[in-house]
Amino acid sequence: MILETQNLVKSFGGLTAVYDVNLRIQEGELASIIGPNGAGKTTLFNLLTGHLPLDSGRVIFQGRDITGLPPHTISRMGIGRSFQRLNIFPRLSTFDNVQVAVFSAQRQSRNLFSRASKLARRETEAILDSVGLLDKKGVKGGLLAHGDQKRLEMGIALAVEPTLLLLDEPTQGMSPRESAEITRLIQKLVKEKGLTLIFVEHDMNVVFGISDNIKVLHQGRIIFEGKPEEVKNNEEVQRIYLGEEKDAWSSR
Amino acid sequence: MTFEAAAGQALSGISVGMVLFLIAVGLSIIFGTLKVLNLAHGSIYMVGGFLCFGFTSALAQVPGAFWWTLILAPVVVALLGGVIEILLLRRIYAQDVLYQYILTFGLILILGETCKFIWGVGYHTVSVPWPVNGKIPIWGLSFPVYNLFLIGCGIAVFLGLLALMRYTGLGRMIRAVTFNREMANALGINVPRVYTGVFMLGCWLAGLAGTLMPPMSVVALGSDMAVIIECFIIVVIGGLGSLPGAFLGSIILGLLTAFGIYIIPKLAVAFAFLLMIVVLVIRPWGLMGKPE
Amino acid sequence: MKGLARAFHSHRLALRLALLVLLLILPFILKESWVSLANEMLIMALAGCALNIMLGYTGMVSFGPAGLYAVGAYATAILLTRYHSSFIIALIGAPILAGIAGVIVGWFCVRRSATYFALLTLAFSQIIWTIIFEWYDFTGGDNGIVSIPIPEFFFTISHCYYFTLAVVGACVLLLWTIIQSPFGKTLQAIRENPGRTEFIAIPLKRYQLAAFVLSSVFLGVAGSLYCVFSGSVFPDYAHWVKSTDMLVICLLGGFYNFTGPIVGSVVYILLSKIIAKQTMFWMFFLGAIIVFLVLFMRNGIVGFLADKFSPVTDPAPGSGKDGGGR
Repeated sequence: MILETQNLVKSFGGLTAVYDVNLRIQEGELASIIGPNGAGKTTLFNLLTGHLPLDSGRVIFQGRDITGLPPHTISRMGIGRSFQRLNIFPRLSTFDNVQVAVFSAQRQSRNLFSRASKLARRETEAILDSVGLLDKKGVKGGLLAHGDQKRLEMGIALAVEPTLLLLDEPTQGMSPRESAEITRLIQKLVKEKGLTLIFVEHDMNVVFGISDNIKVLHQGRIIFEGKPEEVKNNEEVQRIYLGEEKDAWSSR
Repeated sequence: MTFEAAAGQALSGISVGMVLFLIAVGLSIIFGTLKVLNLAHGSIYMVGGFLCFGFTSALAQVPGAFWWTLILAPVVVALLGGVIEILLLRRIYAQDVLYQYILTFGLILILGETCKFIWGVGYHTVSVPWPVNGKIPIWGLSFPVYNLFLIGCGIAVFLGLLALMRYTGLGRMIRAVTFNREMANALGINVPRVYTGVFMLGCWLAGLAGTLMPPMSVVALGSDMAVIIECFIIVVIGGLGSLPGAFLGSIILGLLTAFGIYIIPKLAVAFAFLLMIVVLVIRPWGLMGKPE
Repeated sequence: MKGLARAFHSHRLALRLALLVLLLILPFILKESWVSLANEMLIMALAGCALNIMLGYTGMVSFGPAGLYAVGAYATAILLTRYHSSFIIALIGAPILAGIAGVIVGWFCVRRSATYFALLTLAFSQIIWTIIFEWYDFTGGDNGIVSIPIPEFFFTISHCYYFTLAVVGACVLLLWTIIQSPFGKTLQAIRENPGRTEFIAIPLKRYQLAAFVLSSVFLGVAGSLYCVFSGSVFPDYAHWVKSTDMLVICLLGGFYNFTGPIVGSVVYILLSKIIAKQTMFWMFFLGAIIVFLVLFMRNGIVGFLADKFSPVTDPAPGSGKDGGGR
């Protein structure tokens, strides 16, 4: 078991964002978390990566208790993440965006004297190639099209060599064709690099298409989890979604 | 130190603090609502001081010249503030604090040199006006009535501003814009006009301070630089954007300066900076501000 | 314009050599007062580049670089006058002491970000100013320290100029190397998106502190050079107005380009002197220029030119980028 959380709780003022969340993720699993907006999904990710302090509970990664560790340490230990709202380095070139992350992975970030342009080129280009951005390596990150920026996001996350990858709405804002492409990309990368994946998604095509395991989050609690078929047929889950994404649901 | 001496020192410190309050509260309100760090606020205060001298000189034959000046000068300063806001500040609201700092620094130079051009480099004085001239014996010390008058003004302004913010429609609008600009906009509030109004209010307050200060001191170039850093300290300690915070901060700084001179005279000034640092590191939203 | 741009690029090397030659023969072609001015420009250029490590490259807006600059200047001054140390020691002591001050100040300041960070740097530099101003016995208070025993070699203006040129040149080269390194790239990533960098396993605060200390060290060198140049030091070296000069230099030249502060220093000092000769109200015009800069030329001179002169497509990384840009 690569990731386990025990009774995670997080509140903001009077609002409970996450309550008594217990996750058990196996290595190599493709798990997804779904739930209406405001269910607490991004908060949960922030708790896992150390960006928000827990009120109570524990997070155990690869057998080690990582509760309370600083974010950069957790990142170094192998939990990577991509973001719902784009989170790249806009004025750096696409190449530089990824290269900076590769430097970090290679522990080269402290190197003051070598010329950056001569280092890590192969690795950086390999990652750019795997997310399909090699031909755009000279373009400034902020100038890329939305879909390409999402790919860049993923490239940056991959460059730090994670074993567990948290993807926050990877297909957000994409056309169906783009979504399908990204989904294929995700599957390919997961297989190539042997990653474990937890992703948050609203696009049910993607969720039911590739998940091994789905957890339904509602008002901070996991109210149901299971295989795609089980989730599809569960009445409570249907009820929660009926108001929100009736179309997405009924087209299944 | 005897009780009388201490009390006298405290009163003195508080009266200076009150003038600083008038300047600092403007700075705080401007930062709270417009989110702008106005480095030129001290210069606006200084312009008020020069206008005080200018008007009292021009109206020397008129009885109650000072009191007419007290009405006129801050208004003129407020109008100047309006011009500055509309022409210059509007363009940098969304920008990084770096640009605000440098732009308002440029304003310091412009305003300072303009004062120099109009009134020259010398000192100017304004005599203490009747009926608040003279001294009153308090606790065995002879205390200038004018200082008490200043304390009274400070308290009056503080209460007036509190009332404005809490009980008037204008105050509600200002609070709405401070809290959430987009939402206020959506509610139909003319945000740019509120911004201009708030900035003018802040400048009016600085102009008022500038008019009240000369009888107690002198009007001179350089008073802008002397005052702005102290105002920053007050506003940070009290909380950027907090009215009661500015009041509290001014009193603290006034007392700190007055007594610090007795404890370690040389480093009394550094005390204030140390306090500022402590607040910024431990509780950056100040004693009475709200965390972002 | 494009033709000019292409000509500029293909003759980059020749232009740089020409500039180098110009700098070397300066004392032979200009009057002493101009050489002295050039000396000052070089020192401020170094200060600007040092500040820009934090400002333009790491995105940390500091209101207090003058404090560290003054630490360097006073370190050299005090080592030479009070401790009668050798010249070399006095020179080396400056960046070391400025660096130590940078560690202490930086550690506190880095705990906060943006506006609060800026205010903290302001407060610290004012504390430094106050200490210098009040500690009469050690620092000479507001009299400053004058008649500092610098070696007679430096009494000749051209000697002093070459010394400054050598030191500034070496420092600028060093800074350029650091900016081009993986560390430099990481700093830029921090500027672009500080939150994201923690997700690529970068301990954000540690790197920001490193940038702060790096800046401080080179600011200290600049301060030390000025001490040698002018033979005296005063508390105003630490004043926030001096900090603002440095900020304006970076803004004027353009802080997204390495050469920005250098250009800014030359133009700013030149403008100040020229305008000051014309009118006693020269600060008014300085203020007006500053306001104009902020409103209309936010990327500075070099940024403005880079937009006009940049090649049609960005050069591929690793293909030997133009030295003035990124």
